[in-house]
Amino acid sequence: MTDLRAGSRVKVLAGLVAIMFAALTTRLWFLQVLAAEEYQREAVNNAVRLVDVPARRGRILDTHGNVLVDSRASLVITMNREEAGDHKEEILFRLSQLLDVPAAELGARLDDTRYYAFSAIPIAIDVPRPVVLYMKEHAREFPGVDVVELPVRTYPEHLLAAHVLGYLGQISKAKLQDPAFAAYEPGDEVGVSGIEAVDESELVGTDGVIKYRVNSAGRNLGEIGQLDPVPGEDVELTLDLRIQRLAEDSLENGMLAARSVFDSYTGSNLRANAGAVVVIDPETGAIEAMASSPTFQPGLFTRPMSNHEYDRRFNTANTGYPLINRTIQSQYAPGSTYKPFIALSALSRRPEDGAPNQTIVSTSRYYGCPPSWTVPFNEDDPEAIQYVFDNWTTANLGFMNLARALSQSCDTIFYPMGYEYWRLYYPPPSLDGIEGNDDEAPKEPLQKDLRAIGFGEVTNVDLPFEKGGRVPDAVWKAGIHEEFPKLFPEGRWVPGDFVLMTIGQGDTLVTPLQLAAAYAALENDGHACVPHLLDRVLEPDGTVVRSTKPSCRHRWPFSQQSIRYVREALVDTVRTGTASGAFAGFPFGRVWVAGKTGTAQVDNRQDNSWFAAMTEANGERHVVVVLVEQGGHGSTTAAPIARNIIEGIYGLQQTQAVGAEATD
Amino acid sequence: MDLVAGKVFPAERRPIRHIDPALLLAMLALIVSGLFMVYSATHQSLSAVALDPGTYLKRQATFAALGVVIVMLMASFDYRFLRIYAGMIYGASILLLLLVRTPLGTAVKGSQRWFEVFGFQLTPSELTKIALIIMLATYLAELRRSTAELSLQHVYAATAIAALPALLVFLQPDLGTSIVLVAILVGILVVAGARGRHLGILALTALVLIFGALQLGLVREYQIARITGFLDPQNDPQRTGWNRQQAEIAIGSGGLTGTGYLEGSQTNLDFVPEQHTDFIFTVVGEEFGFVGAVGMLLAFAVLLWRAFRIALLSKDPFGTYVAAGVAAMFAIQIFVNVGMTIGIMPITGITLPFVSYGGSSLLTNAIAVGLLQNIHMRRFT
Repeated sequence: MTDLRAGSRVKVLAGLVAIMFAALTTRLWFLQVLAAEEYQREAVNNAVRLVDVPARRGRILDTHGNVLVDSRASLVITMNREEAGDHKEEILFRLSQLLDVPAAELGARLDDTRYYAFSAIPIAIDVPRPVVLYMKEHAREFPGVDVVELPVRTYPEHLLAAHVLGYLGQISKAKLQDPAFAAYEPGDEVGVSGIEAVDESELVGTDGVIKYRVNSAGRNLGEIGQLDPVPGEDVELTLDLRIQRLAEDSLENGMLAARSVFDSYTGSNLRANAGAVVVIDPETGAIEAMASSPTFQPGLFTRPMSNHEYDRRFNTANTGYPLINRTIQSQYAPGSTYKPFIALSALSRRPEDGAPNQTIVSTSRYYGCPPSWTVPFNEDDPEAIQYVFDNWTTANLGFMNLARALSQSCDTIFYPMGYEYWRLYYPPPSLDGIEGNDDEAPKEPLQKDLRAIGFGEVTNVDLPFEKGGRVPDAVWKAGIHEEFPKLFPEGRWVPGDFVLMTIGQGDTLVTPLQLAAAYAALENDGHACVPHLLDRVLEPDGTVVRSTKPSCRHRWPFSQQSIRYVREALVDTVRTGTASGAFAGFPFGRVWVAGKTGTAQVDNRQDNSWFAAMTEANGERHVVVVLVEQGGHGSTTAAPIARNIIEGIYGLQQTQAVGAEATD
Repeated sequence: MDLVAGKVFPAERRPIRHIDPALLLAMLALIVSGLFMVYSATHQSLSAVALDPGTYLKRQATFAALGVVIVMLMASFDYRFLRIYAGMIYGASILLLLLVRTPLGTAVKGSQRWFEVFGFQLTPSELTKIALIIMLATYLAELRRSTAELSLQHVYAATAIAALPALLVFLQPDLGTSIVLVAILVGILVVAGARGRHLGILALTALVLIFGALQLGLVREYQIARITGFLDPQNDPQRTGWNRQQAEIAIGSGGLTGTGYLEGSQTNLDFVPEQHTDFIFTVVGEEFGFVGAVGMLLAFAVLLWRAFRIALLSKDPFGTYVAAGVAAMFAIQIFVNVGMTIGIMPITGITLPFVSYGGSSLLTNAIAVGLLQNIHMRRFT
């Protein structure tokens, strides 16, 4: 030590160092003693990753427990547009070589507008394991590409009941906003049509979570806990696999047969391009079969599809729009199948100026059935044109009662009924400007009765996108004329509107399901049941969660006598009436059948063919409604299909659907 | 002063009898705990890639053994010889710093810092620290002979000596080591009697130069980002804040007594980057808690206390200045390194003496301790 002053300077330096150490210790005290808990929590979060375990989606079963829709695991390649970034083209090229799919096709799948830009878009499913291994090993060459194991729907019965079952798709932006879908995330699959959509909340399970310990590179270091997924509930439908198959096969065969039938009006064979069948249990409203043709393969929706392919398969005119469920989404003029309901109304409505027991039509009177009927001269409106309305046949069928008018489908007996509604109730009080007389007479009583039967509004079947048909009235007509003056040049309600309504033409529209529900109520003594498909909801182990109680509270406002009269009248349709040809040789002693044909005219197209049947045997009752678009006469195409189905249901020997005599 | 080798000492004055055991023990304690920490920080990630989990431990242990030999070697001759070779040593270190920038050096992560020799990385900037200490001590000790007071000119001259290697290191770029070099300069100048006023002028000049460097774009973007990221964690484009945050979580989660050796989740799971080198202190903090961290700081305090004591005991100014330089070197490294793991200093590539994994650093620190022992042993001769 040579310099005393140097000693003090060393102490200055040492003091500085002491301050540094004090600073370090203070900070350590803060971190490790005061704030330790917070950091410990962060440390735990740091090291844990949560991985969703998708829950198994519930199965869809038929009423006997046959599996219609199931799920299986599939290796799916997903790609994230944003992560792939500029390398999209190269990646798609490499993938196309691996998967043996054209790169352009993969690219089109990637451009699917249903997905968000930031979400992983499935571009290939059921990828073979070797391809997956290769991709894992060469992960660097595939940025933004991932392989995940996802549950995928399977359809053991292939195309069967495709429209009823529906399919899954990526959840839409609109649904994500919906509080009912709060648990869903972008990219989740959700039922978008059919039972998959309606019973989504039952079918979807609750995803589980696996907690992994991971390092900073995300490497899995083992599981540290898990929350098991809760599988979705199984949905058991009222559909009967056997009847459904029967309905679909009969419809296809019948349509095929119709295409070889010559149609003299158009000078070409019947096109029979589409059709629908509904089989329903009238006592409960349980739908036993629901077929719509053309149909589609629901399995197609389990794999990625480009917009182009979607349009090519489902969305151009020559595909026949197979995704449409024609039983509930297409509306048709019912033609003569409407007549029994006109009769029911006419049997219950009493004109004010008539005798106390006189109704618009009577079961005790006989009416002439000439080849045509002319609108009577109206003293109040002498200028009015006296239109002439033809029967379906040019023959004069002579005098007959109402029952025979139904079984022979005599239009010229129904036309005057329509005119009577005009003469007696028109203009309705709400339109004549006189106040205070609203209660004196029913407003448009025919429409009121038809709505009471169930027409003009949805049946509330448990399927989405159902249409309600149309019961036209004066207000509707004025409104639609104002809205579309070119399509609907006449805005006034005229006698012809009622006249055409009596034979199910004009502006009247129904869906096949509406008609089936109406015939079901007719067979069920006027007790109208809400048609339904969901029978029971089951736990995966088979425990019943709940079962549907038939809803048949609605009662028709008609007397039991009238209902029975009309129902019994229809028995003759298949024995001696318009469908007697189609039902020739049918063992009526074994199965009771009553029905009604319908031939509905459509502008610029061939006639739509209808048949509605009520059946009963051995305490079993079924209502069958068949529609074939451009199928010609009801007796020619629809009635034989219905017969075929009925024979199948009751185990009778099935006759081939052959074109029967062309009656109404 | 006669510097004759082979001088015969009376038995009680033989240097070997005056070795500083506290300094030796503190160093050994730090080296041994360092070996444990290196193993803890690396065994998981090594076994994850199917390598021997003890790979780093074994390499570090080899260097530790070499370090002990070096301490003995550096204590074996009279340190005053170094004054003769000071210029040469300094020149050689400058040469190495220049060579490392040629293709002979290896570039990693955008900076040219070391030579690859027999599979080992030789970092010349580590040795530069020792060279600078010896050079400055020699220069200032020479001055002390002629003048009692250091003039501003002398201060500038000393600064120039430090500035050359500091600039070269800074351009590698290695901000951490240049900070250490500046700290060595300041430490030696303070002890050598530079006036506070002069040091103030020096600090002012440095500020101007730093500002100028920023303006001229001599400072790399990532260096600025580290500092801005430290000052303003919200605005942190380089994610340097992430490193610091992970380090803080690791240390904070250790709590009072730690998670236990090899039990630290953040350490095992590799959340802290460069954990076996720059961020080794996070292992201590997580696995041994506040108690362990303060324990390690105590070992460093003993080391520094002995260094300062040796500066006081030294028979000659050269020894005092060398000891002060070594103390300043250790002190700044400890402060900046530990400070950056607990969020009070910006992140710079400074290792924790004796604890961090790394041969060059360990050997340099061993040389420094050897010098201290040398001065201590010869305080009577």
